[in-house]
Amino acid sequence: MRDKIRDINSARNARDSAPPRMLTPRRLAAIVAGDIAGYSRLMEVDEEGTHERVRRIQRDLVDPTIAEHHGRLVKTTGDGFFAIFDSPVEAVRCGIVIQQNMQGRNASMPRDHWIEFRIGVNLGDVIIEDDDVYGDGVNIASRLERIADPGQLYISGGIYEQIKNKLVCGYQSLGDRRVKNITDPIRVYRVLPDPAAFSKSRRRENILLLLLSCVLLAIVGAAFWYLLPHPYPTMRHQASTQALPAAPNEPSLLAPLARQAAPPPQPPQSSPSVAPVTQGAAPPIQPAPSTAPAVKQAALQPHPAPAAPPAPAIREPEMITVRGGSFTMGSNDDATEKPVHQVTLKPFAIGRYPVSIREWNECAAAKACPFEAAGNDDAPVTNLSWSDAKQFVGWLAGATKKPYRLPSEAEWEFAARAGTQTRYWWGDRFQSGMANCKNCGDVPSAEQPIKVGSFKPNPFGLYDMGGGVNQWVEDCWHKNYHGAPSDGSPWVEGDCASHVIRSGSWKNGERYARPASRDYYDTNVRYPTHGLRVALSP
Amino acid sequence: MGIARTIALSAALAAVSCTAHAQGKPAAKDAVLYFVWPQNGANIKGAFWCRFGLRNMGVTHAGDDFQNSGHHHLLIDVNEPLDVKEPIPQDKSHLHFGAGQTEARIDLPPGKHTLQLVLGDAKHYPFDPPLVSDKITITVR
Repeated sequence: MRDKIRDINSARNARDSAPPRMLTPRRLAAIVAGDIAGYSRLMEVDEEGTHERVRRIQRDLVDPTIAEHHGRLVKTTGDGFFAIFDSPVEAVRCGIVIQQNMQGRNASMPRDHWIEFRIGVNLGDVIIEDDDVYGDGVNIASRLERIADPGQLYISGGIYEQIKNKLVCGYQSLGDRRVKNITDPIRVYRVLPDPAAFSKSRRRENILLLLLSCVLLAIVGAAFWYLLPHPYPTMRHQASTQALPAAPNEPSLLAPLARQAAPPPQPPQSSPSVAPVTQGAAPPIQPAPSTAPAVKQAALQPHPAPAAPPAPAIREPEMITVRGGSFTMGSNDDATEKPVHQVTLKPFAIGRYPVSIREWNECAAAKACPFEAAGNDDAPVTNLSWSDAKQFVGWLAGATKKPYRLPSEAEWEFAARAGTQTRYWWGDRFQSGMANCKNCGDVPSAEQPIKVGSFKPNPFGLYDMGGGVNQWVEDCWHKNYHGAPSDGSPWVEGDCASHVIRSGSWKNGERYARPASRDYYDTNVRYPTHGLRVALSP
Repeated sequence: MGIARTIALSAALAAVSCTAHAQGKPAAKDAVLYFVWPQNGANIKGAFWCRFGLRNMGVTHAGDDFQNSGHHHLLIDVNEPLDVKEPIPQDKSHLHFGAGQTEARIDLPPGKHTLQLVLGDAKHYPFDPPLVSDKITITVR
């Protein structure tokens, strides 16, 4: 194992003569291998009951715990599972949570019905494929799991080195162990507390009880704290008027609904300025349809007046409905934007602004997003990984019961172009003051982009589609458009270790603010300029 | 019991807060960042695997704030000096390897290019003083 780590650090110089692998991206990952001790014995005792219980444990405990700790379940076997994590700390925490939970579940059962996991965690270089993971890093994890006693968590020396100062648990060194089919001995540590030790010693029982009660107290306290301030209704209306400079006179009760439905780029029977009519060389659209008529139109639509707003007031992002249509996606300005190709999309709605810190923090307050963002409430939220962005849209969809999601890359570009085919939506030449980018105007680039919607909206009424913050979209990264879907759906096949970001940021130059510009970043890694914008299926 | 309480308390604390803000940290004194491949002056046909070497420090994921570790960044044709007060930029000439990658497939247009590695900390800041590799020049045919 130690050899292995040395290998990673020096980028495997010893094996340099090996031919490069083209399609098997290797990653450093913490691998968690778990299986149920004595599964066949349990099946003998009570086949149906055991099967049902194991399934329930997988569904109620293993899957959600892995997800909570930002891991990915790669494989389940009848009685076990493999998961990978970016962080060793999270991987071990996940193992501890599973073991502690199982201990609680077993407490009420007779001894011979106990279901006990053995878990091994190892840090290593792996090859990840869609539904499996390979490499000797994985083999070592599963060997560790084999040698672990039921109910215990064994970790390798590599994991131990990474977590010893971060996770305050007991670690018992078991020395170097030889394991099957692995040449070098592996340093093994047992993580304490664990259920086996729990049942053996009163002292440990105390520790565990204390730990559990501390965690429980913390959770209850936090929940209480977040439940206390409930000024939603008033805050909400304040915010809606603030966020809607274009229509300040709307009756505030109607505001959310009207905004929701307002489709600015759809003036009543107005001719060429509409999105779908953008086949070929569409003339630059005059940004005629301002929000005013649109709002009026929305107000005219036979929307039933909202009798009573639903109880948990969640501030929904202001959405713009975009009628579908065809457009030419891509450009010849960069290799990643080729080939230029035709895409036809169905109608969808997209956020008028990137998601703000205020919106994000509602998700954080609901404990559905992983951290609370600091800064001006109206500034776009940043420092998000793609997984963070997915968590936000998942929460929003659940809380509002509407199909909120990330836009596809094609939808993003369609909305950013807003019917134009020029380099920028306002023409082929960059103009200062049109987008929040680096050296792009009078605004000096600050620590954080100024509040959302500070620059001119594009002809669809969308703000900050180019510059501002990078925006995650649903698509996996592909280095160009060869093989891209032509129906506007997200392109998710292939190596999904990185996802597409759009828009450029306030720290990128003007060429990144072009609607066609695209870039990528590791799926699970946060970076200070990355945020998101939501989309909504009709 | 006292020990147990301390352990429990610190475990709860560790579980609750794990975000340490780190910038301007010094790198290990004897750390060396270098290209395993390609070498300076290499002539390369088409796309290639660029392999990153790091001695006396460890590679970890961005976001993980471990002692004596960081993650790789590859700077392609970058001439601006590095600002240690800012996160390493993210664009087409500053490639990030925050998942702990130690190699990357690089596809550059034909011509001369410079490559340089920079180690970043958990928050993508360079170390202070920056831990960088030699800037190498390669020719892509």
